[in-house]
Amino acid sequence: MTVLEATGRPRVGVVGGGSWGTVLAHLAASNGFPVTLWMRDDEAVAALNATRRNAKYLPDLDLHPGLTATTDLASLGTHCGVILVVVPSHALRETMAVLGDTLDGSHILIHAIKGIEPDSFMRMSQILLEETCCKKVGVLSGPNLAKEVALGHPSATVIASGYQEVISAGSEILRSKAFRVYGNPDVVGTEIGGSLKNIMAIASGMADGLGFGDNTKALLLTRGLAEIMRLGVGFGADPMTFSGLSGIGDLMATCFSPLSRNYQVGNRLAKGESLEAIQADMRQVAEGVRTTRTVARYARTNGIYMPITEGIYRIVYEGATPKEALSGLLDVSRNPYEGDAAKRAAGVP
Amino acid sequence: MSRMKTTETPQPMMPPAAAPELPAPPAMEGPIFHFNRDRDAIVDEVVSRELARVGGSVDALELVLNDAAYSELTRLEKAGGRPGPDLQFWRELHRTLGGKPVAEKEALYRRLATGYARDIVGNFDLKAYRFATSVVPMGLSLIMRPQGTSRRFVNMNSTLTERIRVQGHLSTLQALARKGTVILVPTHSSNLDSIVIGWAIHHLGLPPFTYGAGKNLFTNPILSYFMRNLGAYRVDRRLTHGLYKDVLKTYSTVLLERGYHSLFFPGGGRCRSGAIEQKLKLGLLGTGLSAYINNLQRGKDDPNVYIVPCTLNYPLVLEAATLIDDQLQQVGRSRYIIEDDEFSHATLVGRFIKQVLSMDVSVVIQVGEPLDPFGNRVGPDGRSYDKRGREIDLRKYVEVHGVPQHQAQRDQQYTKELGAAIADAYKRNNVILPSHLVAFTLFQILKRRHPKRDLFKLLRLTPEDSAVALSEFYQQLDVLRQELLMMSEQGRIMVSGVVRKGPAEAITANALRSFGMFHALPPLSRNDGELSAGDMKLLLFYQNRLSGYGLEALFAEEVQA
Repeated sequence: MTVLEATGRPRVGVVGGGSWGTVLAHLAASNGFPVTLWMRDDEAVAALNATRRNAKYLPDLDLHPGLTATTDLASLGTHCGVILVVVPSHALRETMAVLGDTLDGSHILIHAIKGIEPDSFMRMSQILLEETCCKKVGVLSGPNLAKEVALGHPSATVIASGYQEVISAGSEILRSKAFRVYGNPDVVGTEIGGSLKNIMAIASGMADGLGFGDNTKALLLTRGLAEIMRLGVGFGADPMTFSGLSGIGDLMATCFSPLSRNYQVGNRLAKGESLEAIQADMRQVAEGVRTTRTVARYARTNGIYMPITEGIYRIVYEGATPKEALSGLLDVSRNPYEGDAAKRAAGVP
Repeated sequence: MSRMKTTETPQPMMPPAAAPELPAPPAMEGPIFHFNRDRDAIVDEVVSRELARVGGSVDALELVLNDAAYSELTRLEKAGGRPGPDLQFWRELHRTLGGKPVAEKEALYRRLATGYARDIVGNFDLKAYRFATSVVPMGLSLIMRPQGTSRRFVNMNSTLTERIRVQGHLSTLQALARKGTVILVPTHSSNLDSIVIGWAIHHLGLPPFTYGAGKNLFTNPILSYFMRNLGAYRVDRRLTHGLYKDVLKTYSTVLLERGYHSLFFPGGGRCRSGAIEQKLKLGLLGTGLSAYINNLQRGKDDPNVYIVPCTLNYPLVLEAATLIDDQLQQVGRSRYIIEDDEFSHATLVGRFIKQVLSMDVSVVIQVGEPLDPFGNRVGPDGRSYDKRGREIDLRKYVEVHGVPQHQAQRDQQYTKELGAAIADAYKRNNVILPSHLVAFTLFQILKRRHPKRDLFKLLRLTPEDSAVALSEFYQQLDVLRQELLMMSEQGRIMVSGVVRKGPAEAITANALRSFGMFHALPPLSRNDGELSAGDMKLLLFYQNRLSGYGLEALFAEEVQA
């Protein structure tokens, strides 16, 4: 409890009651922390407080009694010293604009959101810094399929922050015998790895949907990681971060798991369904769809060689067929290194 | 670490009549005027703080002494020559340290820290200050009167007021200097910076700012006299061990707590590439936060420390040729100190100053919006605001259980945020002058024309290879200028009056005039309806001022005539 004592506020806040937000709130409560879980929907809050279940996202998980749901976002900051933020990436700004009114410099904010803001190309932690006065900001990311964590399967995650204090706080609140928390000072690499792997998950689902085998998948994973790294290092990420849990670890989980929403999108696209139809019957957002557009456009504008992202973009947004776009990756007429070489040659200050 | 270099007094000029847009200058006061009275107390405070930090622990004491001995032995042995007393001292220390009792180690530490603090500590002499601000300008005005004037005495200040434009958040700076302690953090491109900044500080009616200057600049007895007596302290850059660096930082912290306004050049040395600095040194910068926390702990009435970024924008840089040479040799490597450059030649400096003063272009000092030690914006009221305009209670950043506390790792990270905010302010307050705009345009056209050449091959272009028709050049320049005007409206960059007004012909003529005045082989020249590159390295230096904004993309395709 030392973490909360230092902040002078008695509770942990969780903003966003999707499956991952609910599981994180449950983990914190199970560790003995009083938790306030904010959800947008009145009825969902009432139902959760009455039944101790999140019927929509995690109907089978009995939530810890230390967890209370609320719709009152504005006052969350007054009694929560550490706040985990788990809303969809596109809702982050508006959420923080409200929450930010009750935050001060002592608050610790940790987001567990995978996405990059379109146009501005801002990472989620940058949005937290822009919408609030908080500096003690971090990101939680790793191979964490919410359902598996809820079932208590051994899993691990990474909390990245420039502030050791943030890592300790997040770790103290969330860690358990079945859930390990690692720390990393590299926020950029952790955020980029977590966000871009969703693109690779779509590709991976597509490969399965087209009936390709393990060779193709291994190709997608390794070359996918290479292009994630290429972009990340350009933003100042530590390349080693990508070989860790929040990099290759997360990539493997999402690309191999049919539980992953992004994988499902790819898989169904490959089988000929339209994006609209798929999105219409998914309960939660597949962040990878938006991320693909954001990243592909950024890569095009800035001349970064990202063939897999480019291929997925052409399928999802430009009507290319999965087969031709994925096969394009194996086109030997294109020298896979020329993108990098061009950048090096252009290295004029 | 401040890498201030100067070979002139920081306050050489007479106080001018206040510029019309400024409020009346405040009465000249500040702790610096009784520096000499406080000197010994300051040294004592520095030493006792250092002792308090390591004194309690035998391990810490031994580590810090051993580290200093190792670092000094390595340095002195590498230097070669006859072993001096220093080398013998450190050898002896290194050999005997382990066996010494704690009290003796502590005494040794105290002796070393005191020695370093005394070596660093500055001086302030009112007589020297009065002399510098009255007699020196008269002398200078004789040497530097604008060409073509026959009067023996010209009004030095009116000339400087025309040639050095100080603009931006001036009244805020003046107000904050009364509310708390100010750290001015300018970009650093020339040894003239300290003179120019010193003049600007005086011009704004502020007391002299204290700053660290490289010890190598104190060798000239006359310069040394002025620097030593006008608040400059000495930084020995050869000493890299923790003991010395900590004494230096503590010295800066103590000065800030006592309300001495300070000047840091966070870019390190003068910027080699000519670009606006983006990688900043955080060591000395962090002393602002340390001072703030100490002030809070002591319950000081005006605890705040304000960091004011500003950019110095020269149409010409005296040391351009040496700096860019160094940059090219050292690309990606650690910088080294250039001992012999243009600045060592008095006649060259004199000529340069004379040229600058007689030009119809000005040096622009752009004072940016002040920041707090955490990198937040500070308003004219001295309060901090977040990016959405909410007022911030700064104490909350440093309170643990409701009490202000130092936490090394956290504070280092806060200082990183401050560094990023300063770097961002530099970019936004970078004032683009005709010389930068013209150099960038020509360089980018040449780069596009020779896509196979890497940077170093590009630098070997001959004037014949590099001729560009004026019509093409003007068109490209206009495309760039339009983009800059748009960016300046969004607050992402600034442009000078000439650049704003246009047209391309006038901007180009202005740049050619200023380049031609000083550089023996100018970066570019015009003949027969063509513009061609002269000294490509200088062209690179001046064009770099516009790098880092992604403007190169504007030159991807040729403009259709």
